[in-house]
Amino acid sequence: MVSGVTLPLQGDTVLLPERIGELTGLDQFGVGGELLATFLAAFIVGNIMLAMTGVAGPWAKRKITAAFTDRIAVNRLGPAGLLIIVADSVRLLSKELIIPEDADRPAYDLAPLVIASSALLGFAVIPMGSGIHLADPEVGLAFVFAVAGIASIGLVMAGYASANKYSMLGGLRAVAQNVAYEIPLVVTGMSVVIFAGSLQMSTIVDAQAQTLVSLGGLDIPAWYALVNPFAFVLFLVANFAEVGRNPFDTPEAPTEIVAGYQTEYSSVYFVLIYLGEFIHIFLGGAIIATIFLGGPAGPGPAELGIVWFIIKIWGVFFLTQWLRSAVPRVRIDQLIEIGWKGLLVLSFANLVITAVIVGLIA
Amino acid sequence: MSTGLEKRTTQVEVTEDDLEALLGDRVLGRDDHLNAPGFVIRPDDVQDVLADLRDEAGFDHLSCLTAQQYPDRYESIYHLKKYADPTQEVSVVVPTSTDDPVSQSAEPVFRTADWHEREAFDLVGIDYEGHPDPRRILLPETWQGHPLSDGYDQEKPQIVTLSEHANPIQPDHHDEESDTMFLNIGPHHPATHGVLHVKTVLDGETVVDIDPDIGYLHRCEEQMCQQGTYRHQIMPYPDRWDYVSAGLLNEWAYARAAEDLADIEVPEYAQIIRTMGAELCRIASHMLALGTFALDVYGDFTAVFQYAFRDREVVQDILEDLTGQRLMFNYFRLGGVAWDLPEPRDEFIAKTRDFLDELPAKVDEYNDMITSNEIFQIRCHNTGVLEPEEVKDYGCTGPVARGSGVDYDLRRDDPYGYYENLEWDVVTEDGCDNYARVLVRMQEVEESAKIIEQCLDLLEDWPEDDREVQANVPRTLKPDADTEVYRAVEGAKGELGIYIRSDGTDKPGRFKIRSPCFHNLSALEVMSEGEYIPDLVASLGSLDIVLGEVDR
Repeated sequence: MVSGVTLPLQGDTVLLPERIGELTGLDQFGVGGELLATFLAAFIVGNIMLAMTGVAGPWAKRKITAAFTDRIAVNRLGPAGLLIIVADSVRLLSKELIIPEDADRPAYDLAPLVIASSALLGFAVIPMGSGIHLADPEVGLAFVFAVAGIASIGLVMAGYASANKYSMLGGLRAVAQNVAYEIPLVVTGMSVVIFAGSLQMSTIVDAQAQTLVSLGGLDIPAWYALVNPFAFVLFLVANFAEVGRNPFDTPEAPTEIVAGYQTEYSSVYFVLIYLGEFIHIFLGGAIIATIFLGGPAGPGPAELGIVWFIIKIWGVFFLTQWLRSAVPRVRIDQLIEIGWKGLLVLSFANLVITAVIVGLIA
Repeated sequence: MSTGLEKRTTQVEVTEDDLEALLGDRVLGRDDHLNAPGFVIRPDDVQDVLADLRDEAGFDHLSCLTAQQYPDRYESIYHLKKYADPTQEVSVVVPTSTDDPVSQSAEPVFRTADWHEREAFDLVGIDYEGHPDPRRILLPETWQGHPLSDGYDQEKPQIVTLSEHANPIQPDHHDEESDTMFLNIGPHHPATHGVLHVKTVLDGETVVDIDPDIGYLHRCEEQMCQQGTYRHQIMPYPDRWDYVSAGLLNEWAYARAAEDLADIEVPEYAQIIRTMGAELCRIASHMLALGTFALDVYGDFTAVFQYAFRDREVVQDILEDLTGQRLMFNYFRLGGVAWDLPEPRDEFIAKTRDFLDELPAKVDEYNDMITSNEIFQIRCHNTGVLEPEEVKDYGCTGPVARGSGVDYDLRRDDPYGYYENLEWDVVTEDGCDNYARVLVRMQEVEESAKIIEQCLDLLEDWPEDDREVQANVPRTLKPDADTEVYRAVEGAKGELGIYIRSDGTDKPGRFKIRSPCFHNLSALEVMSEGEYIPDLVASLGSLDIVLGEVDR
């Protein structure tokens, strides 16, 4: 722990399950009660994320892209077309589920679940402010990277099990891409760990609450994006590749390989994969917010933490949509080249330099 | 760039006597066409004669191959031109007997003869000896009979079955070290710009072999034109070849051929309106090409695509004001155009000028978003490379040829309309790659704008009592029997040529369309083999094909 830091936003150890346990009296029922409280807490967090995805997928994505491309987008159902979310849900869930004859069944069915749930798991250790924090293990950051990485397995399963050549190509591309970008991502994340001295998420957030400089009475916090902007940019880029967004959306690449690994998925399965992708973007945003942007920190009372946190996540989401509208896709070989020859080298350089500087100051 | 009015012919004109001397006793007789001298040769001399004409006389452009059946014979006509000067033309006429129509293949001399001879076999029924790949091209493999031959029963229903697609080079690669995958790209695929089926063999992500399978959009356009009367019934069809807004350019191709055939003069005023309309269509078409190419490279319906469509929309509006239609214009008439500029004239002219005034800012925007984007550059530089020699071998024209440094534009080199009286430039780029083709199209938009500007100036000041939009053309046109003409114009995609043979009636005896997209698409194999799938998709996009024109 970094000494001498007050913890204005984070109740030191009070996590959401504990708080729910206290409020509902469930904590009096021993392990069973704790378990139930934890489920309740997870239910709340899960629903926040799903609600955000629900807004983002059918509505915000369309509105943002439309703004970039001189269009209006959905505006017929409800205020600003918001009820399209309901209409789209009905539409998507009532579609026929078509499963290819040669599909490798258990794998084909499991893939959408793996993709969607792996991303949701990551939120377990993210401190979202306002006391919404499910668990705070000492290896929090490692845990997030680990569970987010599980999605790759889902992509391979989807690509291989669909018995479609386009899916196969997409699955292979997804693996190549994730292997190439996971390493720079983790290594860049490590440079933050060097600053904070801990993998624990709450510690990383707390460490960023310090004041970097004071400009005319305005305290600029020591967010790691400001302390080490280079690492921030590296992490952003690697993150876009990791979640497969433009300009690194080669695993889906609609104009090349139709829809990649999700070509043969329809109806609910399609919704799950789509959902998984959005949650992955949000998880990427949550990681960036937590380790580079001070987590839920922001002006105003600590209770507003969740608001700031969601704004930061949406900032990252907005960036992905901006890139989608404006930046061409790189070719698969160029993508691999950028990963192995560019980002990997830079991220290690960043790690070494950060370590040396931090060592000298200490 | 060179100035529009400057001819850059350095080659000495080859006279008919020279040609006759060159070909010697291989010439069996003469069968002159309105546009070119025609030499009749024996079916087994084809390669010899074409090679001599190309190497000795400089006829390096096999513009078209027309096949047709007469009561007593089949005939293949090779329409040759020069890239350096397309006004120098020669036709090589190869008659073959009705019983056994076998002619030597020209494929070893001109690569582009490959697809043309397949089409001639498919539709007319002439066999080409020594052809490397004598399959049908437009109709399904199991089709019975040849629709444009005599005695073909149009009423007979046909059920066609397709054999399973096989990997054509599987045996070569099926060992332990290497493995190839056969992939059907299309007929339904996000990147095929219509109904195109590319049979692709992949080695990993690398394209080993491609075979474009066309004909899904074959609508018997040639035959429909043969069943229509010259005066009115044919003109609506050209709009439906390249149907993505290049309508007036297509109409001009038919108008030019038919006007030469029937010896019709077009009033100067009508020529200016035609020129302006055609260039508006070119802008609309290039905007679409730019937008869809960006779609292929960017991967989504992104800003560039939408911007291109937004700007194309303005052009569509102007064309709608002019012609009354947004796509299927049917505005040209033999001997002129259907009607004058819409009233109030000033408003139309002001509206068009507004568009032209805003265009430079928009072009700057495209340059910001596309050509100066580093990722776009690494995606497009040195991909889809088409060398100038390959351009000529495959008969590529239009922006595809000019992007490979082949300075060939019929508007300047074989002048028609009002182009020779205007100030504009032919754009060429030496890059030979996808990037160069994008640059050519973007600059051509600016050149077209220049032309429209000048046309507007002329139209504005034209004396009111001299606004003749149509020459006096007889109600029924019956050109003399056995008059043959092949004429081409510079369409948005390249050289769009029409061959017409009259048979003394008011309908053409043979109507042949030379589609630029047909030639350009045939070059896709040399552009994409050995490259990655994304480059194949980008190359296809940069060719800017419209399947309606490929399949006709």
